[in-house]
Amino acid sequence: MSVEILWAEKYRPKSLREVVDQEDVVKRLQVFTKERNMPHLLFAGPPGTGKTTTAHALAHDLYGEDYRLYMLELNASDERGIEVVRTKVKEFARSKLPVDVPFKIVLLDEADNMTADAQQALRRLMEMYVDVTRFILIANYPSKIIEPLQSRCAVFRFTSLRREDVIARLKWICAQERVACDDRGLESIHEVSGGDMRRAINILQAAAALGEVNTSNVYKVVGLATPAEVKALLKTALFEGDFLKSREALRKLMITYGLSGVDIVKQIHREIFSSEITVPEDLRVEIADYLGEIQYRLVEGADDEIQLSALLAKLVLLGRSLRQQPQPSKPVKR
Amino acid sequence: MLFSRKIPWVVKYRPKKIDEIVNQEKAKKLFIEWIDTWVSKKPEKKSALLYGPPGSGKNSLVEAVARERGFELLEMNASDYRRASDIERIAKTSSRVRSLTNTRGKIVLLDEVDGISDAADLGALEAILKLVENTQYPVVLIANNPWSPKLWELRNRCLMIEFRRLTKTDVKKVLRSICASEKLVCDDDAVDYIAERSEGDLRSAINDLEAVGEGFGRVTLSAARALLRARDRDLETFNVVRKILVSRYAWQAKEASTQTDLAPNELIGWIHENLPKQAQDPEDLWRAYEALSRADVYFSRIFKSGNWDLLAYAVDMMTAGVALSIKNEQHKFKWVSYSPPETRRLAAEAKEANRVREDLAKIVATHLKCSTSTVKSDVIPLLKVIFDNNPEYAAKLALGLNLSDSMIIYLSENMGSQIVKHIEKLRQEIRQEARKTMFEQKKSRVSSSTAIAKQSEKKEEKNSKGLENFLKK
Repeated sequence: MSVEILWAEKYRPKSLREVVDQEDVVKRLQVFTKERNMPHLLFAGPPGTGKTTTAHALAHDLYGEDYRLYMLELNASDERGIEVVRTKVKEFARSKLPVDVPFKIVLLDEADNMTADAQQALRRLMEMYVDVTRFILIANYPSKIIEPLQSRCAVFRFTSLRREDVIARLKWICAQERVACDDRGLESIHEVSGGDMRRAINILQAAAALGEVNTSNVYKVVGLATPAEVKALLKTALFEGDFLKSREALRKLMITYGLSGVDIVKQIHREIFSSEITVPEDLRVEIADYLGEIQYRLVEGADDEIQLSALLAKLVLLGRSLRQQPQPSKPVKR
Repeated sequence: MLFSRKIPWVVKYRPKKIDEIVNQEKAKKLFIEWIDTWVSKKPEKKSALLYGPPGSGKNSLVEAVARERGFELLEMNASDYRRASDIERIAKTSSRVRSLTNTRGKIVLLDEVDGISDAADLGALEAILKLVENTQYPVVLIANNPWSPKLWELRNRCLMIEFRRLTKTDVKKVLRSICASEKLVCDDDAVDYIAERSEGDLRSAINDLEAVGEGFGRVTLSAARALLRARDRDLETFNVVRKILVSRYAWQAKEASTQTDLAPNELIGWIHENLPKQAQDPEDLWRAYEALSRADVYFSRIFKSGNWDLLAYAVDMMTAGVALSIKNEQHKFKWVSYSPPETRRLAAEAKEANRVREDLAKIVATHLKCSTSTVKSDVIPLLKVIFDNNPEYAAKLALGLNLSDSMIIYLSENMGSQIVKHIEKLRQEIRQEARKTMFEQKKSRVSSSTAIAKQSEKKEEKNSKGLENFLKK
């Protein structure tokens, strides 16, 4: 093979029959495909549990290979404004029904990122065009979907994938790709991906690109994939107490990597509990607590850089006790 | 002259002769000697790098020499030659042996070489090196800052000619002579003020003089101040920020914030930029940032709800809240130099790379059916690992995802060019395979006519067509 794509795409289940580990959900959905009728749907659950995949598989089973003709996909985190709802979605929802299908589908991914306005506008559309169009809303946090929308949808809860199912799937992919892997390597992928299948498969592919899938390659991949600036930011703030230098790293993350404030907080969160950062355990907890506070303010606030600078200032302060004592000679056990 | 007023003075009064260039005797001498060696066709170095602060006469010298010695100028500035192919085009012209019929020599002039960014202007520096190697004509490079590490190889190949920062006296001399030619009444203190502000940048000084002269018909100190003040805003804002940070009372800090016409939500950026320089005690800094963070949350609530009454509280927090947080007197009143907010400038500089990253994120997001922000935080870092460590595999992925060369470079600065080469090889292989299957098809068409053969033929045809289509893409 001289051409390759991302495995997360290559091995994405096409039909409901292939979806792993969401038996209850799949069973109920298969009733819809059999009857060729369904209500509006709301898929809720953590990332990488197959919500988007299941929605596509459902459409595939309803309409066949060319299902995209009858479905409008909007990734709500990219196009989430009320304008899009009023124009693009409305136009599609009201358009005439092709003769061969019972209804069209509007798929709104990451709908919990839509503004309240846009959700309100959606509510009208869901009522008015229900005879020709059904909506599938996908959300990590269903509580961020306004009540009237929730009450119009049949809610499907997706649960984190079982560890053995994730590992079995990864193993199967390795067999298809003829990549050497060992169980410990696959287990560590499951551990670092936190049950997120997409992330697990992406890490698998990167580890495979380094040769084989074993523990050391998995951790190497994860280490390399964490921007050096995240570590630099923590190090300069906590251990050196150099606010200006850590702000430089912060700016690099925001501008060169294009990461949003929330993404950066999450990366720091991952890092703060890793054994590479040698700080007293209670400090990890204190930092995590403040990270939560800052993430909340980021959602509330206007300027990511100011909010994250407040975090850096806190880290400089918290690190003061570390800098005054000599560094602990042996790393603190986790 | 009817149109004379329309020509900007910086152009109109550009030195026509070498003698007219102010106070760069050493640079002049070095440069002219070097150009003269080209007449005898034995230059030691084929290229010269002129460097020095802006407005010190680098471009003017090259132009004046070209004019006096009868060279034709092949000129390009950074916006023209961002791509390697552009430079190769000039290189072609310049490597041609001088024709006998055209007796005029040429000077190849590349301005702003320090503005070439290695990531965005793929291969441009290499192309310049090649140009310098093969040229038949003098190549002149110009830079403000020649010490950037990416230019080290060029520095070795070039004759380095330094331009000094012009003194205030130099600048004043030129300004006065322009005033005389324009028959403009210029007060001495006004000329002094303009020259002082220019910090040795003659170009900006002439522009300032023209702006004041055109606007007021007479160059007086008050006119100069009134007009050029806007550009002093940085300095003024520094003073406001300083006043806020050193305030001992809440009212002082609040009052200071009224002395600027910057909007409060802009002023907060200036405070944010400079606060850490003044509040060096960790406890002070943290307290101050808590206040700033609160102010930012208020701003956001104002924008979201349109409730401008909240502005008062935002201003309280970012002025008094910050000022009273800085308790360490030693740091509080220490004089430190301030700077304008960096973020916007940095963002503007990174614009090109950002565009590449956004386009890349969009491509990957459609493949993976997820949002671009997920791609940027979770997928692109993993792709970088693949692209940095396994160029052959990366090439296959790049081909499969249909990534552009600049995206490949974005994913791996070190391996980028190697990956691009691999892709070329893969493309050839695919082409050959396609040709082979087509050839076999023809053969099988001749040799057999059974239904089974035909069926397999159809299949192959499909395959090769798919590949052909793919290649066209």
